[in-house]
Amino acid sequence: MKILVTAKRVEDPESKIKVKPDGTGIVLEGLKYKINPFDEIAVEEALRLVAKFPGEVVVASVGGKEVQEQLRHALAMGATRAVWVNHTGPLDQMGIAALLQKVAEKEKPDLVILGKQSIDDDQNQIGQYLAEWLGWAQATFASKVESFESDAEKNKVPALTVSADVKTVRVVREVDGGLATVECQLPAVVTADLRLNMPRYASLPGIMKAKSKPIEELTPVGLGVDVTPKLTVTKMMAPPARKAGIKVPDVATLVQKLKTEAKVL
Amino acid sequence: MAEKKTQSFMRSLCMGEIEEDILLPFPKVSPTDRELLKGVLGSIDSLLKPHAKDFRAWDRAGEFPPGFVDELRQFGLFSLVIPESYGGMGMGSTAYSRTLQEIARYDGSVAVTVGAHSSIGMRGLLLFGTDEQKRRFMPRLATGELIAAFCLTEAGAGSDAAAIKTNAVRDGDDWVLNGEKLWITNGGMAGFFTVFAKTGAAGERGHMTTFIVTRDLKGVSTGPHEDKLGLRASSTTTVTFEDVRVPAANVLGEVGKGFKVAMKILNSGRTGLGGGCVGAMKELIALSAKQAKERVQFGQPVSSFGLVKQKLGHMVVECYATEAAVSVVAGLIDQGYEDYQVEAAISKVFASECLWRTADEALQIAAGNGYMCDFPYERKLRDARINRIFEGTNEILRLFIALTAMNDVGGQLKELANSLQGVFNDPIKGFGVLSEYALKRASLATGIKRAKGAFTKLPPSLAPQAALFEEATKDLATAADRILRKHGKNIIGKQFATKRLADIMTDLFVMACVLSRVASSIKDKGERGAAKELEIAQVFSGQARRRVKTHLSKIDDNDDELIKSLADHAFERDGYAWDTL
Repeated sequence: MKILVTAKRVEDPESKIKVKPDGTGIVLEGLKYKINPFDEIAVEEALRLVAKFPGEVVVASVGGKEVQEQLRHALAMGATRAVWVNHTGPLDQMGIAALLQKVAEKEKPDLVILGKQSIDDDQNQIGQYLAEWLGWAQATFASKVESFESDAEKNKVPALTVSADVKTVRVVREVDGGLATVECQLPAVVTADLRLNMPRYASLPGIMKAKSKPIEELTPVGLGVDVTPKLTVTKMMAPPARKAGIKVPDVATLVQKLKTEAKVL
Repeated sequence: MAEKKTQSFMRSLCMGEIEEDILLPFPKVSPTDRELLKGVLGSIDSLLKPHAKDFRAWDRAGEFPPGFVDELRQFGLFSLVIPESYGGMGMGSTAYSRTLQEIARYDGSVAVTVGAHSSIGMRGLLLFGTDEQKRRFMPRLATGELIAAFCLTEAGAGSDAAAIKTNAVRDGDDWVLNGEKLWITNGGMAGFFTVFAKTGAAGERGHMTTFIVTRDLKGVSTGPHEDKLGLRASSTTTVTFEDVRVPAANVLGEVGKGFKVAMKILNSGRTGLGGGCVGAMKELIALSAKQAKERVQFGQPVSSFGLVKQKLGHMVVECYATEAAVSVVAGLIDQGYEDYQVEAAISKVFASECLWRTADEALQIAAGNGYMCDFPYERKLRDARINRIFEGTNEILRLFIALTAMNDVGGQLKELANSLQGVFNDPIKGFGVLSEYALKRASLATGIKRAKGAFTKLPPSLAPQAALFEEATKDLATAADRILRKHGKNIIGKQFATKRLADIMTDLFVMACVLSRVASSIKDKGERGAAKELEIAQVFSGQARRRVKTHLSKIDDNDDELIKSLADHAFERDGYAWDTL
């Protein structure tokens, strides 16, 4: 089985993110970066699947030279090889999806797994665009029934159920108010939610092996994609600081205040 | 270049010469290593972070659960310094030290388990092993199938390592080993022991040999897990050898050269301990900053009070200085310098004492909370304490630092004395030597410019600090000269004076490392980008200069003899003699 996964470079959620005073972006100085945690879950799921259905995991990322760090991370986790679309400068979600579409058409995987969203701007769109443009089935927000303490999780059993003939995949999706199960024809696009699995860490032997795994360099021009953004960011601002709350003596006062002050009742 | 690598910055400095090319530019991690390190450090975070809460429980329990040690094995933490060809990471000192720093941020017990394996346990094999020995053991050491332990200390042989009683007697193709080793880190789980044993005639001091002993050999046993003040989850045991037949193929290095092997291992491994200290300090600074901002007294966070700022400010300066010194030593080792033992010893003494002060002040900032086991401060304080004791006590290392320097200065004085004798036989030659020394002393005294008497490659913004360093260098040369003239051969017994010289040397070396590091930051980020680091250089240089002056003045004006007499008084009475009743 051949699986294509993504490894977006995002700001480490533990870094302190500050918006520049002029609102043109965020302060980059002193920021740390890592692989998008949802993508990391996607890589883990792909590795579990190929352990069951031998094949390869190809990891792709778009960005400048620095995204090789995230590709190496996925390789150190166990991915087979990497595809790096070398592009610096602005890029919107349509551009990224178009580039990934070309990569998918070139690689012809049985399955594409990517994070449901990236934690930098949380747009939650790439998987959906990609499936639409490829004309493949899609299952977003893949989750699982077992808990993280289950034996299945400890034994790294894949949560996606691929049929023995590798023709279909069954996906448990997290939806409002519960879980929905869908079955897709392969090839398909699946996006990973938080509870799909617990990603493994890259072991030191894994890091050493990753040093010699190939990273293929592609460019938007070479792929024939015009990545001129259709979307421009005009201003960034930090959310306003939350006002301090108040304590009320009893339920009656609370109801009263909700009616008269908050006007939500 | 090759010639340069045999020089030591500190030994040259004691002669009044600033060999700036040894310390400048500040050693940098190569881009390839940087990328590899980033991956490694990120992975260590994902390995250890989920255990953050467990470390306290394991400290209480006094041991790691076996599953955790397996996790460390599978992760590859025992492979750090093992060459790639044997399945390891092939890390040099810089990368290794930085890696231990990251581990020590989380837990001292994990750091010492990994450190005892890589810094000293298997380092003898790395430095002195034959290809055959490496092939036999390295692959299993890399996977952690064999965990290594360094076995030197005995009940009667701590700082005085040459006094060991464990002995080995040649019998056919084997050596028969008998004895007991004490306080062996990793003892309980090690499969590979680097053991030092006497191989000389009875009563002959110092003739020892290094052996590789594996646990499967008959007669090797380990005692129970020791109950310790700190690093409680790490394994410390006795290791006993009872008629253990060690094949001659397991001799490490030359027979009879064991003492040198032990010293080389300890010197080479020091940057691991230093890195661990830096990691613990960084963590303590982060904890203290958070604690001080959250704790409100008198209606404001205690971070707004001067006395709290004073503590945190000093913690930052000392952490930066320690990191600079440890990095320089690691850089010297990686660049192939051979004579770095004085610098390595200084970095160990300085790092372990800065960490101790930092742990103490961090606990003080947290105050009542700091004293409670629900907070991490008391554990960090307990874990920090051993660093001043193991891998050579700071007292022994201070004597080593100063005596090495005085040996060199003494050598020059002796040459002078010899040629003075010859003055009458060969006045011209005698005069030449005399005038050279006289010139040096005169230039030290008057400040006349001399070769290598100043830094020439530091940026102008560091000029005031460079000037302080040059002044202090003169003081060092004066101090060494004056102490030797005063005590002559008796210097060995004058530990107060020796310690003063060691402390002057420590301040000077660390100051030079700080200047080197700040200079490199100014080059990379400009003066504005390095503004805070420049402030650190100002603070540290000023403090160091004042300390050096004090030490110098105490060479002639001190209460050493009174203090000694009071100690002797307490020894005689087995304690304190007075009461107010």
